[in-house]
Amino acid sequence: MSRQIIIDPITRLEGHGKIQIILDDEGAVEDCYFQIPELRGFERFVEGRPIEELPRIVTRICGVCPASHHLASAKAVDGCFGGQIPPLAAKLRDMYYHAHYIHSHIAHFYALAAPDFVVGPGADPAQRNILGVVAKVGREIGEQVITARSQAQRIQTIIGGRSTHPVWCLPGGVSKGLTSDELDEIKPMVANLAGFVTFSLQLFRDVVLGNPEYVDLILNGPYTLDLHNMGLVDENNAPNFYDGLVRVVDFEGQEICKYAPDEYADHVAEHVEPWTYLKFPFLKQRGWQGFVEGPDTSLYTATPLSRLNVAERMATPRAQEAYEEMFSTLGGRPCKALLASHWARLVEMVQNYEMLQQYCDDPEITGDQYRVVPDRITGEGVGIVEAMRGTLTHHYTCDENGLCTSANLIVGTTNNNAAIHMVTKKVAATMIKPGVEPDEGILNLVEMAFRSFDPCFSCATHSLPGRMPLKIDLIQGGEIVHTFQRDAS
Amino acid sequence: MARHTLILGMGNPILTDDAVGVRLADDIGTALSDHPDVDVMAECSVGGLNLLEHLEGYRRVVVMDAIHTEGGEPGSCYYFKATSLRPTANLNNIHDANFATALALGRKLGHDLPTDDQIHIFAVEVLDDLTFGSELTPELTQAYPGFRELILAGIRRILTEPILGNQEAAHGAHDRTERWPHGDSSTHPRGGPRPVTGLLRQPRPW
Repeated sequence: MSRQIIIDPITRLEGHGKIQIILDDEGAVEDCYFQIPELRGFERFVEGRPIEELPRIVTRICGVCPASHHLASAKAVDGCFGGQIPPLAAKLRDMYYHAHYIHSHIAHFYALAAPDFVVGPGADPAQRNILGVVAKVGREIGEQVITARSQAQRIQTIIGGRSTHPVWCLPGGVSKGLTSDELDEIKPMVANLAGFVTFSLQLFRDVVLGNPEYVDLILNGPYTLDLHNMGLVDENNAPNFYDGLVRVVDFEGQEICKYAPDEYADHVAEHVEPWTYLKFPFLKQRGWQGFVEGPDTSLYTATPLSRLNVAERMATPRAQEAYEEMFSTLGGRPCKALLASHWARLVEMVQNYEMLQQYCDDPEITGDQYRVVPDRITGEGVGIVEAMRGTLTHHYTCDENGLCTSANLIVGTTNNNAAIHMVTKKVAATMIKPGVEPDEGILNLVEMAFRSFDPCFSCATHSLPGRMPLKIDLIQGGEIVHTFQRDAS
Repeated sequence: MARHTLILGMGNPILTDDAVGVRLADDIGTALSDHPDVDVMAECSVGGLNLLEHLEGYRRVVVMDAIHTEGGEPGSCYYFKATSLRPTANLNNIHDANFATALALGRKLGHDLPTDDQIHIFAVEVLDDLTFGSELTPELTQAYPGFRELILAGIRRILTEPILGNQEAAHGAHDRTERWPHGDSSTHPRGGPRPVTGLLRQPRPW
């Protein structure tokens, strides 16, 4: 018997990710809905404001990736003022962003990914956190994590004046350059970060790759999807986090399209479902095909793994070595094993520190031509960067007075909304079998699935008490037959 | 040298009621400007491991934040200490270590942090923290003067309480049962915060 379940998307569980799994009469998974709260009203909030204010406002959209929003917004605003910035401004923005990437990726790897692999996917949830990781690898490593994070933060502060909520990017460039003294302070920190990233990669090799069970879980568990891949690349099809063209390759590695930021609307459209406010982006030229995998799908992922899947090489030599090692171990490129995103983050960090090293050695980096004051308003701009959590698009228009008339954002996690929904269903189908009593283990497996995306559920990341928001309802015959919830009690 | 008290406003200033902690910290920081031993960070929008460096060296921290509880009345106030957050140290946050985990990790690594007993948290029940907007909802705007005065009075009383040095407290008072003016009603019977069930609701006035 088929049942229609209508879920009111206004229902909000104090910031919880709410998952409803619909069972058929036999008790097998029929469907699955993943609901998350979404911030709203941004477009209306910015309408009528001076367009140059937006890079300062958008940093409040997200407390986790303010730099990504700041830079994407700055690029969109550049476009509204004619699109020209000096080469030095682009270098400084890129340099800042590499430090931001390291800062973010370290936290994800040690606080969220390592607990699953270093402590173990089957370990007691009470141990699967960064405290458990430190207990396993030693206090000294814990100190190095804190130091590396602090240094990555400090580098951002030196370059951009602030690490959180930057106000540094202005139309036509940036508000300050980098002095020789500041560069001297940055250099030893970059050297330390290089060592720490190298260590982290080795830790991954030792702990994860050294354990056949983990490798099997990555490659052969339910965490795989045949979807396309999206990411920003440079002229050599190497990953570029700040600038470049958006490249999409299919799940077999063939290029589907490659487009400039201002062409995004020709390539990406958004599908709406009645059970959630969050939209589902898809490849426009393929049309909405539903939540399907394989040749017919129009869905894509935009994750660290996706970025490496679309890249034909890395931009720096050691990152290239790490990239080749990763794909040779995983059976080639593209890789569809979602959990490999944890490894991809480490590979990306290698490129991040090598790029920081290159900028430290660049004689032009301390120059003073870091801004050209715009002399005209052209009225429209699109800025795309690779946020850590996926391709981030800001599209603005303004009137002849420079007042914002429209804003459209496609944020990183939105790109992955369909994939998160689909993998959750896949994991649920693995865990829930007719005639078998489901248990709380499903929470762990679902967590592992969506943690690989590092999704931005909501920007109220400070919300007390700061716990993983997750509730799963199993529904059969219109009734809730089981509820599993992460709770503090 | 250890610094004394830090007042921290948590929240997003352009997310309607989510801004309430930021506004309170700003207001209350001004009201307490005659306390030279009180530092104010009105807008702290970072969490997790990033919080450690902000708390480093302080002997006492007062946090103001927004909270959503099941069936809660907008403008209701809650008070608890970081001791109530300890059970959440085993839970993961979305992107980072959560507050309790970050504190536990920081202490394990030898950071000079206030004890849980000296981390005081005031939370205000909010109505809308999902819509972008620079004003509080009318309901919270109306209730604001009342809970502002309550919280200010609560903080003034906290400031009169002696605090042990961090090291002494770590050995002595770290695990003691918290006491707040009217007993322990702000603490969940099992020691953990239960904001979603409203068990943390502090009878007004304090």
